[in-house]
Parts: sequence; C-alpha cells; structure tokens
Amino acid sequence: MSDGAPLQVTDLVIGYGSPLREPLSFSVQPGSVLAIVGPSGCGKSTLLATIAGITPALSGSVTIGDRNVTSLPVNERKIGMVFQEALLFPHLNVRDNVAYGPRRQGVDRSHAREEADRLLTWVDLASLGDRSIEELSGGQAQRVSLARALAAKPDVLCLDEPFSALDAPLRARLAEDVLAIIARAQIPAIHVTHDPNEARTMTHGRAGGSILSM
Amino acid sequence: MPAIFLVAFLLIPLASLAAQIIGPGTAGYLFDALPWQVAGLAAVQAAVSTALALTLGLPMANVLTRYRFPGRRWALALATVPFVLPTVVVALAFRALLGGTLGSGFMIVVLAHAYLNLAVVVRIVGARWVTIDPRTVTVARTLGADTWTAFRTVTWPALRPAIASAAAIVFVFSFTSLGVVLLIGDASTRTLEALVLRQTSVLLDFQAAAVSAAIQALVVGSVLLWAARQRASTVGGAARDFFLIRARGGSRLAVGLVATATLVIVLAPVLALVWASVRSSGGFTLAWWSGLFGSNTIDAGSTRIGSPLAAMGRSVAFALATGAVAAIVGGLAAMSILTGRIGRAFALATALPLGISAATLGLGTLLAYGRPPLDLRATGLLVPIAHALIAVPLVVAVAAPTLRSADPRLVTVAASLGASRSRAWWTGYGPAMRTVMVAAGGLACAVSLGEFGAASFLARADGPTVPLVIARLLGRPGEASFGVAAAMAVVLVIMTTTLVAAVDRGGDRGGDRGGTRV
Repeated sequence: MSDGAPLQVTDLVIGYGSPLREPLSFSVQPGSVLAIVGPSGCGKSTLLATIAGITPALSGSVTIGDRNVTSLPVNERKIGMVFQEALLFPHLNVRDNVAYGPRRQGVDRSHAREEADRLLTWVDLASLGDRSIEELSGGQAQRVSLARALAAKPDVLCLDEPFSALDAPLRARLAEDVLAIIARAQIPAIHVTHDPNEARTMTHGRAGGSILSM
Repeated sequence: MPAIFLVAFLLIPLASLAAQIIGPGTAGYLFDALPWQVAGLAAVQAAVSTALALTLGLPMANVLTRYRFPGRRWALALATVPFVLPTVVVALAFRALLGGTLGSGFMIVVLAHAYLNLAVVVRIVGARWVTIDPRTVTVARTLGADTWTAFRTVTWPALRPAIASAAAIVFVFSFTSLGVVLLIGDASTRTLEALVLRQTSVLLDFQAAAVSAAIQALVVGSVLLWAARQRASTVGGAARDFFLIRARGGSRLAVGLVATATLVIVLAPVLALVWASVRSSGGFTLAWWSGLFGSNTIDAGSTRIGSPLAAMGRSVAFALATGAVAAIVGGLAAMSILTGRIGRAFALATALPLGISAATLGLGTLLAYGRPPLDLRATGLLVPIAHALIAVPLVVAVAAPTLRSADPRLVTVAASLGASRSRAWWTGYGPAMRTVMVAAGGLACAVSLGEFGAASFLARADGPTVPLVIARLLGRPGEASFGVAAAMAVVLVIMTTTLVAAVDRGGDRGGDRGGTRV
C-alpha cells in the first residue's frame, strides 16, 4: 500500500450526460471508511464508478493526496474496486487472480505469486491458492476479490455493496475482517450499501469513519 | 425407425465406400500426388477463408450480440442470412457483384466462403461473448490493465475456445466446398470434394474417388477433433446470464459503423443478384424471368440444361419429401435423447453426417444404391434421402433443446390425473414436439432446396434440381444463361429465406406458448 494519502472529492457532478444529483464534496482519511448509504437507483454505484474512473465525471475533481486523478483513465488511478459479485477471472486459479494486479504492474510471475500468497494470508485463505475459483463458496470468493484488489496496491479502496450477496452471519464476519484489513493497509475506503445497519457497522467507533446519505 | 434409416442410408453407404477403398490398387492411389496436392491447395484456401471470416465476423459478433441498439434483432437475423443461402446462389451472387473485377479464382472464392460462414462466427463466438460479464473487464482495468491488456488477459481466454470452434467449422466448410469452387474457382481453388466429383462422374474411377474422400475425411476429422478439444477447455461456460451493453460515447459510433457494415456486406451480393436478374447488355429486361417459364429461351443449342420450371417443381417435391423424412427421423432421434444413455448415444450418431461431406455421402450412396444390382436412382428417392441425412443433425440440434426445456413433471401431473401413459407423455411433450416437428421440417426443406453436393452425385442427368440447373447454366457462355440463372437464384433466395424466417418465427411462438403454459 502507499503511504496513506487522503481521498478528496470536490464538487463532483455524476451522471450519464445530465447530472444525477447536486455536486458532492467529501474527504476520506487513510485507514478510515466513508459509508455511502441510500436506496437503489440514487446514484451510489455511479458515484463509485466516477471516482474509480469507470464513468467520466461531468465536472468536479478527485484527488488522492496531491495527485489529481480526475482525467486519468481507470487503469492509472490506482483505485481498487470490489463489487457485489466477486467477478473473479474464470480462467485463472485463486492465486493467479490475486497476482493479476502485480503482474500488470510489471512484477514477474514468481514475485507476483508470492505477493498473492501474502494477501491470501491476510484474508485467511492461504491454503486455497491452487484452487479453481469454481470451488470457492460465496464468502471465499468475495475474500479473494478483496485480496485481488489489495494486491494491486491501490491508493483508495471502493467497495460497492460487497456483502449483499452473502448471508447475515457471513456478512458480519467479513465486515469485521474488511475493517481490519483497511486499517492495516492504511488507505481511504468508500463502502457503498443500501443497508443503514451495515453502514453503521462499517463506521461505528472507527476513527474518521463517517456516513454519507444519498 | 430412425436407427433403421441411419443404418440403411448412412452406415451401408459408408461401408460401401470403405469396401471400395480397400482393394489391390489402394496403395497406388494413396501415393498418388494428386489428392495430396489438392488437399494442400484446399487447406491454404480454407485457412485464408477462415481468417477472413474471423476478421469480418468477430467485430459483428461483438456488436450484434452484446450491444443494445435499435434494430439489433434484425441486424442479427440479417447476419444469419448468408448461412442459409445455397452455395450456388452465393457463388452466382459474387460473380454478379465482383466477377467483372476479380474474375474467377482464389480471391473471389475466399470472399464467398467468408461471406457464407459469417453467421458461423457471429453465432458461435457471439453466444460466448454475450455471457462474459463486462464488469470483469472493468475489474481488470481497475487493477492496472489498459484496454488491450484487459482484452488479451480477460476476454480472449474466455473467447478462445469459441473462436477455435468457429474457425474449425469455417475451415471444414471451406475445405470441403464444392458449389463455390466449381462455379467461381480456378485451378488454385480445387478441393478434394471437387476431385471426388470429377473422379466419379468424369473419370468413373470409383476407387480413386473413395481414396480422395477418405483423405478428406481424415483432414476433416482431425480438425473437428482439435475443435472438440478446444471446446473442452472452455472455462466459466455454465454462465446463463446475458450481458447486453448500452453503447455510450465513442462506442456508439463503433456500433453504428459495424451495424451499417453488416447491412452492406450481407445485402450487397443479394442485391447484385437481383440486379443481374433484370439486366441485359441492352438495359433493363424481364426476359430472364419470363425465360424461367418458357422452354426455348435457354434450352437452345446442344447443351442440355433442363426446364427451369420442371427443376423448380422437382426441387420443391424433393424438399417436401426431405422435410417429412427429416422431421420424423430427426424428431424421433431428438425424443430418444430424453430416454437415457443409449438414446443420447443414438442422437449423437445422428450428428455423424455433419462431419461427412456431401460428396462422401453422395458417393457412398451412389456406390450402395446407385448401380446394379440395386439402382434406386430411377426412383428419385436418393436425393431426398441424402438431403434428409444432411438435415437430420440440424433437426436434432433444433428439436433437442426445445424438448429438453419441456417440464417432465407435467407428464407425472397428467398421469396422476388419470391420463394414459401415451396421453400423459403427449400432455408433457406434445406442444413442444408439434412446434419442433414443423420447425425442423421447414429447416430440412430449406436445406434440401439449396443443397448442391449430394445432388450432383445422385440426381439423374435428366432430372436436375434448381441448384444443378443454375450450375449448368453458369457453365454456358452468354448473358441469357447468366440472367436466367440469376432469376432462378433469386427464386431460391426467396424460398429458403422465407422458410427459415417462418421456422424462426414458429420457434419463437412455440417458445412463448411454452413459457405461458408452464
């Protein structure tokens, strides 16, 4: 992970052609979580996609520390994404899924795999590196997805309803683990959810944790 | 009954062919350079045709199957048109469109083959592409991959088996091409299929023909085996979700360009054909169309062409017979899929003719039933039987998924309500079966109307089908022959596309009914 620069969003207008809502401004400190909560269709996922560079911003800026990433393409922003579904690459095993990011950064295969094994240990899946992704449970797949995002050493982590496909006990356990990992990685994180309880869990009692209602 | 049909008209002809190969002169034929030279030429031609079909077909597969835009379903249906056009029609259309510029030979043949097989690429690769979640590419991009790297590392591995499969099928179709290479090819585009026809009908050397057919079967079998291995390596193939993308920004322009290109590429040869049917050196004319119904216009001179009208009547009769036989045999074969392992093995056997070329099938049938002591050629039965064999795999492919999608619990429900065994079965599967038989019969009719290879071997000289008459006309000089051939080809286009469209609509309606019922 980087040296933990804050994420600053300033007057960001999101939408496809026309604005979805009024301009948004907020900042997230390294190691803390901003939970964005709101009903379906309010633009939560579009906001994440805009910050990550998947969807272009209509106006406003996104900066990470002193780096303005607003006009950078998605692959140069260093913003990790974890979606509702794990979206693992089906032709790669667990380890190579996690090693994908380091490989794109020019790390050779063996070192990328070592890095993947380190991240798999973080998410308690150290023994599953050789598994095919089809053999994973929903919770395991989501952990691999998290490890894959972190292995690319992102400056910001965006979580787009990452627990909504999981059952309640698993959701609570994974939420705790994700919080610990974010604190350990010391990067700013944005967690999008439609569940106010989940938003509270992700921010309650955490230094810098806050909730943005949309 | 389907088993008897298969044994009688597939296995016995193949056995006759095998018996012909095994003889005292076999080694001599095998070491003869000619069939191997022709195989080499055909392989080069087929490889170039495949590369061209992929180059044109992959962007079409991407846009037509994955992007949401107005008229998408029409564009997709249009991209399928070349595949249902008879090969002689396509050859004639390309001669009308590009014959003046390219003449006959390698270029025009590979263009025609690429055109004929566009739908193979679009349908096979598109069916896979649409199941790839575009968000996996987005994830790759967030992990640092640029557009090309994301395609290379995520999309390509998922598509590769489907592309290999489509490439293998296009290669096989081009390698075993007959109609196109006979009508617009030259010495550089010879195929073993054409060699077999020549060895059979001109040289009357059946053993040489059988050896050539065997060499061709070896190549075709190897390619199909390779394709099957590639398919086996498919990962994530169980996905049943389809991801349609709404085009935005720059991709909207790309979608518009590819959709327009599809329209132009598919329609240009067909329009050139229609144009050729109403044009003479003196300008606009309807003489070629009236020639279809007259007896003198094109039958003058010593060349024996046969009456176009009689050929049309004959083709329709053969098509109806083929439709009936294929619907019954194919429908029963599809039903047997529902009955367990032996049934499934049997249904698999009905797919055999797919891997056997028309010439091989035609030659085998000719050897088994086309000469004394058993000469069935005079009965006129051999053409529809061979056509039915060619159509049965398609019928099974259409029928099986529909029958599988019928809910077997309906049979149990019907039985529990007091229905007899057969009545209960019909309640469960009857509606699907009815739709399938009509659709399959229509499809088989379309196959028969345009089939050229097997008919070249099996039709009597004085009883040609429409594609054979078109080929004979094109073998003659003069604009009258070309014009009448174009008019006949237009009739064939209308008949086959109407049949296939009706089958498609019937299938859709059947599906809707099934959906409501269940």
